[in-house]
Amino acid sequence: MRMSISTENRPIVIASLFIVVILIAGTAYTLSTTGTAPLLSANYLLQQLQTGSFLGICAAGMMMVILLGHIDLSIPWTLTAAAMTATAVGGDLALPTALAVGLAVGLLNGFGVAYLRIPSMIFTLGVDTVLRGLMVAQTGGFAPQDKATPLMLFLAKDKILGIPAAIVVWAAVSLIIMLVLTRTGFGRSIYATGSRERAAYLSGIRTRSVIIGAFVVSSLCAAIAGVLLAGYSAKAYQGMGNAFLLPAIAAVVLGGTHILGGKGRYIGTLIGVILIVLLNSVLSIMQMPEAGRQIIYGSVIIGMLLVYGRNQRVTS
Amino acid sequence: MTEAIVEYRGISKFFAGIRALEGVDFKCRSGSIHAILGENGAGKSTMIKIMSGVLQPDEGTILLEGKPVTFSSPQAANEAGIVCMFQELSLVPDLSVADNISISHPPRRFGLIDRRAQVRRAEELLARVRCEDIDPNALVRELSLSRRQMVEIAKALGRDPKVLILDEATSALTTRDVQTVYDLLGDLRDKGVASLFISHRMHEVDALCDTLSVFRNGQHIETFAKGERSEGEIVRLMIGRDVEAQFPPRPPQPPETLRDAPLLSVKGLKWGKRLNGIDLDVRRGEIVGLGGLDGQGQKELLLALFGVLRDVEGDVRIGDAKGIPSSPAAAKSAATRLALVPEDRKTEGLMLGMSIADNLLAASFANISSGPFINPKKAQAEILSGISKLQIKAGSPADPVMTLSGGNQQKVVIAKWLMINPDVILLNDPTRGIDVGTKQEIYKLMRSLANEGKAILFYSSDYAELIGCCDRVSVLYAGRVVSEQEGDAITEESLVAASLNIGIEAA
Repeated sequence: MRMSISTENRPIVIASLFIVVILIAGTAYTLSTTGTAPLLSANYLLQQLQTGSFLGICAAGMMMVILLGHIDLSIPWTLTAAAMTATAVGGDLALPTALAVGLAVGLLNGFGVAYLRIPSMIFTLGVDTVLRGLMVAQTGGFAPQDKATPLMLFLAKDKILGIPAAIVVWAAVSLIIMLVLTRTGFGRSIYATGSRERAAYLSGIRTRSVIIGAFVVSSLCAAIAGVLLAGYSAKAYQGMGNAFLLPAIAAVVLGGTHILGGKGRYIGTLIGVILIVLLNSVLSIMQMPEAGRQIIYGSVIIGMLLVYGRNQRVTS
Repeated sequence: MTEAIVEYRGISKFFAGIRALEGVDFKCRSGSIHAILGENGAGKSTMIKIMSGVLQPDEGTILLEGKPVTFSSPQAANEAGIVCMFQELSLVPDLSVADNISISHPPRRFGLIDRRAQVRRAEELLARVRCEDIDPNALVRELSLSRRQMVEIAKALGRDPKVLILDEATSALTTRDVQTVYDLLGDLRDKGVASLFISHRMHEVDALCDTLSVFRNGQHIETFAKGERSEGEIVRLMIGRDVEAQFPPRPPQPPETLRDAPLLSVKGLKWGKRLNGIDLDVRRGEIVGLGGLDGQGQKELLLALFGVLRDVEGDVRIGDAKGIPSSPAAAKSAATRLALVPEDRKTEGLMLGMSIADNLLAASFANISSGPFINPKKAQAEILSGISKLQIKAGSPADPVMTLSGGNQQKVVIAKWLMINPDVILLNDPTRGIDVGTKQEIYKLMRSLANEGKAILFYSSDYAELIGCCDRVSVLYAGRVVSEQEGDAITEESLVAASLNIGIEAA
């Protein structure tokens, strides 16, 4: 309480400082081994942001759901399903199809959680499994032969005014989410519902619609990430979304969003994503073996959360 | 006069640099019932939290039976014989009554919890608080607030206290249970237990306590024996200024509007076994009270009208619309708008973790938005007008609402609803656990809202409020209106008689 930084911003400040520490440590390493500082070049950073944009977009959607005190475990196969149907349909309809898949999954998740009252952890896990089954049935378990459309390739690989298009998409998604969370009744209702659903309901907030809305945003984000990733790899493939679930949750929580809902700022999620991406990248530059990387990565997440402080005292 | 069992010497406590207690010297003796009086924010809660080990003092010493002590945790205080019942109930809703009662020291056999002994123990303790009707195996969640409070008292007794602290312990109790608690505290006094009693109800303090201490602004103002000061003097000590009459005057004549068609009209309202055919009218400009013992359907009636309950039957007319709104969202946005100040402000009225501003705006996003976007200027104006209209004492609207005192929190709930300019206001015990000054402000506000032409339906567990505030009172018993009283005919005797459903079966 003596600190002038509010408890809400503290994780954001700590995570930002940690990013600086990672960059300094990595640069010290490259200076001592090769005498160069590639980590600080604009090219390297843009490239990291480009690969980070897939995770960033998933985390943006995930944050909406976590703010409600729920979780969306269906992200991996929502992403994959959107990418696969998009490449299968192809042509101009590829992108709308992917978004339609996202919308459908989001509505289903929201319906299950808001109306059927099934805990989101269970329901979205079930949806994820069902989607995996559907995709395996559709493709026979092999990588589909369809190719990404030119638009998808452009969005994932090309540059707009020297900036990778994927980053532009991520920035646009971020801007929208930020506006929604801070400046719309829907966004404030998400915080209210996540903070105390009963009080929000009795304030006349349509909490069920809010829950459905948040799950739709989450699935739409996963679908967008799927389109970009398919473009980046030039095709969709089985399990392409598996690597994004836990890092997306970790990024949101490292950015200071309370895992039980109600609290958190979007800027924190952005910083959480950058932290995770840079940490992974620097560890691989240091030629850390995979096992060591995993251990450090996990320890960092736990360590950071300890540093944030367990300020949620039971008594006020 | 016995030796002081607990003594404070120069105790101070600061929160983020703000003084909550300053240099408090205080003594309480064994075998007495000692009332702690003061407005919310006077430092009462901080003082007992220090005594019970929840908080540690920044300065000063506590003496227990003459020896200096420090309690690092509530457990340490418990072991020293200081047991506190907090205002916020400390029961675990999903455990049984018996589990809750012996939660810290369950009886064991071979290292495992002895369930039978646990139930026996619960039965004994419940019998001591004359609540034999509570099943020790029932889940706490299934009990009414009043019953839970009695379980809490039984739990506290189970710890064999030398000092028993009751923080607003009676605010949720029904009249019958209050009497039980009085008797119990009398017994404990005779056995040499010191009870510290915090209550905002003067008549309780008068009936029960032998010593009174008044706190104001974190300071101990004065301690005196009961009877040394008049009620008026005590209130002056508490608020440091003179007070006018407690209740605003009723309009001398029944309001003009009595001849109007009612704004809210309820006929034969039924819901499960709790509401068994309620008939009720509220007109514009009227405050209609709901009386009766706790749990006779008053809360369900308010929730049903607000569209919270499913499968409600009966004829309801709100303004020109027929039928009950389908949800709170529909209730607040109908042509005749409804607002509900719910029973429990901490879990139903407020998002405690959020800011004052967010809480104030929670019901009125539609009014302050243009298109999907909130208009920050409109939002700011609404927040400031809400804060000034209800005189909410807050540092900044961005502060978390949980930093406010209970009375100011309740004002936030009311201000939130006034922003939608409701036509019908449903109030569920809005003054529970808040200080005298704020209560009076709420009474005045209710009257001025009624004078503006709003219809107010007001449930209170405090008879004095019903008598002082309402134009009419409908007394509920077993989910039906058993008596309607009007104007000066509303008296404590008539309310009590009706509450117990004595001799009015013919009505």
